Amino acid sequence: MNNGNESNVVRIGDYVIIQRQKYSKLHKITKKCKVTLGKDHVELDVIVGRPFWTTYKMELKSKKLFSLVECDGVESLSEQLIKDVSSGIDNRNIFDDGSSQLLSKEEIVGLRDSGLSGSEIVGHLIGNSKTFHNKTEYAQEKYLLKKEKKYFEYMTIRRPTFRLVAQIMFKQDPGKIMWLRMDTLSQITTSVGIHSHGTYLLYDSGCLGLPAASMLHYVGENGHIVNIHPGTLPQKEAIQAMNFSEDHLKSLMTVNIHKLLYNLLGNSSSHQETTNSAESLHELSKSSDVAGENLSKGDESNFQISDNKPAKGCENVPKYSSEHLTEDRHLAEEGDSKKRKLQDGEINIAKRPRWELEMDRAVDLLRAHKADGLVVVSREHPLNIVASLLPLLAVSRPLVVYCVLREPLLDLYMHLKCRGDVVGLRLTETWLRTHQVLPDRTHPDMLMDGGGGYLLVGTVVEGKRS
Amino acid sequence: MFFIFSSMSFDCFKETIELGDTVMLYLGVNSMHALEVQPKIKNKKEEMVENVFQTTYGALKVKDLVGKKYGSKVELSKGWAYVLHPTPELWTLTLPHRTQIIYTPDISMIIFQLEIRSGSIVVEAGTGSGSLSHAMIRCIKPGGHLFTFDFHSHRVSVAQAEFESHSIGQYVTVEQRDVCRDGFGAQLQGKADAVFLDLPHPWEAVACAASVIKESGEFGNIVIL
Repeated sequence: MNNGNESNVVRIGDYVIIQRQKYSKLHKITKKCKVTLGKDHVELDVIVGRPFWTTYKMELKSKKLFSLVECDGVESLSEQLIKDVSSGIDNRNIFDDGSSQLLSKEEIVGLRDSGLSGSEIVGHLIGNSKTFHNKTEYAQEKYLLKKEKKYFEYMTIRRPTFRLVAQIMFKQDPGKIMWLRMDTLSQITTSVGIHSHGTYLLYDSGCLGLPAASMLHYVGENGHIVNIHPGTLPQKEAIQAMNFSEDHLKSLMTVNIHKLLYNLLGNSSSHQETTNSAESLHELSKSSDVAGENLSKGDESNFQISDNKPAKGCENVPKYSSEHLTEDRHLAEEGDSKKRKLQDGEINIAKRPRWELEMDRAVDLLRAHKADGLVVVSREHPLNIVASLLPLLAVSRPLVVYCVLREPLLDLYMHLKCRGDVVGLRLTETWLRTHQVLPDRTHPDMLMDGGGGYLLVGTVVEGKRS
Repeated sequence: MFFIFSSMSFDCFKETIELGDTVMLYLGVNSMHALEVQPKIKNKKEEMVENVFQTTYGALKVKDLVGKKYGSKVELSKGWAYVLHPTPELWTLTLPHRTQIIYTPDISMIIFQLEIRSGSIVVEAGTGSGSLSHAMIRCIKPGGHLFTFDFHSHRVSVAQAEFESHSIGQYVTVEQRDVCRDGFGAQLQGKADAVFLDLPHPWEAVACAASVIKESGEFGNIVIL
């Protein structure tokens, strides 16, 4: 799977994944860079120029500052320490009175600061424990695993893949990626039928660019992703983290939703479709403003679906006169005018900005061919967004809408049923349950994640588009 | 006398239905049928007769589909249906079962965990009814290749015929082989980006699965169902 232009070694400017036991972290490599892992600071300069998948041992340099030394493998504490320790049968003689450890807290901290390795420290802890050799072998193993977590000295550098990036982002702060769990994310890319020569529309209003990164992974350099976003700038952390090459990134066009719809539909002759799109364009500007506010605050409590529900029933969408249409266009334009003024100055001096070039490419692309799939991952109510993007989708192509809540998708489901041009509608939710796997102790994990979000999937067919 | 045209329906999207295409006849969310567009079909007495497909909403003369647009409505004698472009997802819902099959939610997770993409070399055992194979082929084409194995000769030949009739045969090699006993063969050693095992005794194939993974590659995910 390695492309020829992908380097096998870590270079400055690359993103890497630092893995220490079960904890993984995304980090950008710069000159003289340091990373904070828990309470420890680690200097990363030695990993530059070394291959991915190398494991390093952390060595204490000064207080809480570690440097790295390449090593062959990881030695686990239980392998090193447990072999010559006897164990008890049960815990009938063990009392938790806080006196089993003979070393004081200061002495233990002193051991650490003196530069002893993790295994030596834990060796001291066991040696000075009155009860360790009375514990059952399971309890001993558990104790060592707990200590290992604290004193683990090894870390591995891995190349970011969208699978790892998705898992890290979900683990660190699922709210930032709209609780888009990996199983749901994988269903989005499969259900939209992604393949290397397709053109896909993606509306994403704040998932750190994760859907775009996963779709880019699949389309490679020959397909096209039109990443549509509200506001001025899209989120792109996940896209950056993937270290995509310049050529690969050319498959991605990032455009603002209002400008895209204005450029595509605003200039065409006015017929039914345009009218409705212009109407929803106007409603969109309201809903995405709300989203913009939510994003800027960015925390969980602000996550909400804007209550910008369609005021009218889906059957009797009023037919707008051309006067209304022009009014709406003005409104849409006014929304952009402030940004336009700011950017006008730059355009005159320098070459055209990148977003404008990408907009032109996206508009040309979508004028020539309609898209092969539409993905909507939105913090706003998806109804108006889907309604305004559906005309850009070719017939007999899939539509996938993700929402963290079920109710907005129910509204959308009813709306699409009434429209009559989307069939095979399915609203789904998946459960993901991990298992503990140990000899004779295999069982589902006690905790299961409750929020993977909901998906509405359907296929667009010919029909009355009204 | 008629010709079987090479259809491209699974390989890339097209607008109108041609002879030889596989199309999805959509009657409802829970009622879909995969049809191969051929004007004549063999009846029980091995005679060629006109291909008429019976649905709960009446009959459909299959040859009338030629020239219809994908995604359009077609008349049945007692109603109507939509004809949809075939996709691996719709195929999963309509394919003739020879075995139990893997459905789209699991297919998604498997493809995600294998980290395959366009250009990947993937090894799969067993082929079964080819539900997952279709999705994997779409994911890895045009540069990649799927090597899929099954120990059941009939399943192998039916799967091969399906891949050919869906014109994705060039992306896949189907072979009859008991991989637990005989491994994946010498020519695949160190060639694969990913391996997927769906076998009665997968642990017996783990060692040879590991040996077909690329040595130089840092990727090489094995997923076992």
